[in-house]
Amino acid sequence: MRTRFDRQLEQLNVELIRMGALCEEAISIVAKSLLDSDLTYLPHALDLDDQIDDKEREIEALCMKILLQQQPVASDLRVVSSALKMISDMERIGDQARDIAEMLEYVVQYKFESRVHIGDMARASIKMVTDSIDSFVRKDYDAAVAVIASDDVVDTLFQKVKDELTAAVAAQPENGEIFLDLLMIAKYFERIGDHATNIAEWVCYSLTGQHV
Amino acid sequence: MYKRIFRSVCLTAFAVFIASLALIMGMLYQYFDGQLKEEIRTEANYLAHAVNISGEEYLTELSPGDKRITLIGADGTVLYDSESDPDTMDNHSQRDEVIAARKYGLGESVRYSDTLTEKTVYCAVRLDSGDILRVSDVQASTFTVLLSFAQPIFVVIIAVLILSAFAASRVSAGIVRPLNQMDLDSPSPVLEGYDELSPLFRRIEHQRATIEHQLEDAVKMREEFRMITENMSEGFLVIDRATNLLTYNTSALRLLGVKEGEVGRSVLELNRSEEFRGAIDEALAGGHAQRHMTIGGRTYSLIANPVHEGEEVIGAVIVLLDITEQEQREQLRREFTANVSHELKTPLTSISGFAELMKTGTVPQEDVVDFSARIYDEASRLIALVGDIIKLSELDEGGSFASAAEDVDLRALCEEIRDRLSPAAQARAVTFSVTGEEVRLHTSRKMLEEIIYNLCDNAVKYNRVGGKAEAVISRSEDQKVMLKIRDTGIGIPDEDQQRVFERFYRVDKSHSREIGGTGLGLSIVKHGAAALGIEIRLESREGVGTSVTLTFPPELIV
Repeated sequence: MRTRFDRQLEQLNVELIRMGALCEEAISIVAKSLLDSDLTYLPHALDLDDQIDDKEREIEALCMKILLQQQPVASDLRVVSSALKMISDMERIGDQARDIAEMLEYVVQYKFESRVHIGDMARASIKMVTDSIDSFVRKDYDAAVAVIASDDVVDTLFQKVKDELTAAVAAQPENGEIFLDLLMIAKYFERIGDHATNIAEWVCYSLTGQHV
Repeated sequence: MYKRIFRSVCLTAFAVFIASLALIMGMLYQYFDGQLKEEIRTEANYLAHAVNISGEEYLTELSPGDKRITLIGADGTVLYDSESDPDTMDNHSQRDEVIAARKYGLGESVRYSDTLTEKTVYCAVRLDSGDILRVSDVQASTFTVLLSFAQPIFVVIIAVLILSAFAASRVSAGIVRPLNQMDLDSPSPVLEGYDELSPLFRRIEHQRATIEHQLEDAVKMREEFRMITENMSEGFLVIDRATNLLTYNTSALRLLGVKEGEVGRSVLELNRSEEFRGAIDEALAGGHAQRHMTIGGRTYSLIANPVHEGEEVIGAVIVLLDITEQEQREQLRREFTANVSHELKTPLTSISGFAELMKTGTVPQEDVVDFSARIYDEASRLIALVGDIIKLSELDEGGSFASAAEDVDLRALCEEIRDRLSPAAQARAVTFSVTGEEVRLHTSRKMLEEIIYNLCDNAVKYNRVGGKAEAVISRSEDQKVMLKIRDTGIGIPDEDQQRVFERFYRVDKSHSREIGGTGLGLSIVKHGAAALGIEIRLESREGVGTSVTLTFPPELIV
């Protein structure tokens, strides 16, 4: 009985890693497209979001199966319940990557210096997602805490981008729509950072049973 | 074993006890039975004798004893009985002992009571009168005797059981102890008194040896496998169907950038890039997968193959190869090929263009001369280029240059080159001087000439008009010979100094055509110097000049 339970927990672990990897891939494609102004890979990002959605349902079913069939307690229960929470954050990351991808084709032609900071935001949020998945994979509490702390970097960058865009709108009101799109993209990256923070918090919870 | 022996001994002892008890009881009973019969017969005989002499009255006068005495008439009627009233008794003529006594003079018989608890022994004697005198006695039956003994026998049985259990336990412990104390690891154990076990011991010994041998083989094989995989520079991973890691070597961890302590259960914890996951999924689905992946700026080739057991895929073997250098070399080769094609095409385009113009016959005579001169120049460039490419490819293939080593006078060689370059030097008003001591080297003259010629050619070509070029030969303290070729030319910018040895690399792309050259000269110098073991150092400042120092190792100096 226990061996089967162990197998299911292992499978859960592997599936979570796979889902995390899909998220990383989706957001790095989106960021790369934005930074290089290259839309070649965007359809793949949309495809990845579908895969992420499928993966979420798959992991959800697996968690339910474990909860109902094995009735886990203590740390096992924490692992399963935090997995359930983590996948919804991962799924949101996938959705936001898709949202950015859908907006990119409108803004990609427009050269704007604020893109530098949006690029920084993209890089910072990718790093947060990668680090949060890494902290889960390695069961590394300190790494997870570091991810939570690094959310401030993305927030600061967002503030900077917002200020720049405000000034830009005032200067060039005719390009207002593009600036708004850019602001949305920045916001999405900021949200991705928040979801990465959530994932890291769930990693901490599953390891210690304490909310950070 | 102990239990079995204990039970057998116990049972045997008990069975023997019961059998002997039964035998003794039977014999004793038999004996007492015979005694009683004898007694009754004797008494009957005495009484008969007395009655024969004294008549019937003797019986009535006789004090009643423990035995019953009956007198039966010839017709069977009871005449006298010592215990009952003769009138109430029925006719005895048909009793066995009476019939026998009537016939033979003496008759005996035994009869059991209805309850079988008693038996009566009769003895009848025929008197002279024809009457029959019968003496009888009641005796308890075997069953009753046994029953009356039941209590003591029961006590004895319990005692015997305890005793035999104790004895059996001692005996079985004694038998088992040597077996338990036996050392099965020592070769062919022999146990005194256990001869029947020797085939078993031999068998055990044989199997022990076999197992030991197989274990040794297994350890050796594992060790060999470990040695092989650990000394591989390629990463090696074996996973099961659920992507759990079964085996890996340290190279795999190094290539994947994972520390020893961070290895988890699943291989996906080591790397989760798309290529890695894709290759693993493909291999676990039963296919052969080969991918290229990049980790930390290095390129790896990833080969994943499924492991089959029967029809089923039970896992996968993953091999990681570092192909960064190979990839870089391929990149260089591709660039080289592209450059060569381009460099070859340019003069050919000019040649074909001029030739096309002249083909129509409409070109004026004076232009024909000019065109032919240009065609000639371009063709010469082409020849020089092809020559350089051949030299380079010879160097790439290991260089037939270096093989023919001979004694070379370095200074004479430099002077010879200076003379060959003097027309070009004079054209640009460059003064070229060779100074320094005479040194003889043992090396490939052809290759050395090529190197020095290229450097001196550059010193003249990239000099300013009226500049100076010199070749200085000197000896260092540690017996090394150095040749410094210095010019006062245009110099090489800092950012280009690393790249000038690359094939077809030109610092000034626009002017390369007027200066000429193939862009391969310094490449040949670099490869040639490396082939001969000569160290080469470039120092240059833009607008001031360039100095190239060749350092010859002591083993080249004669």
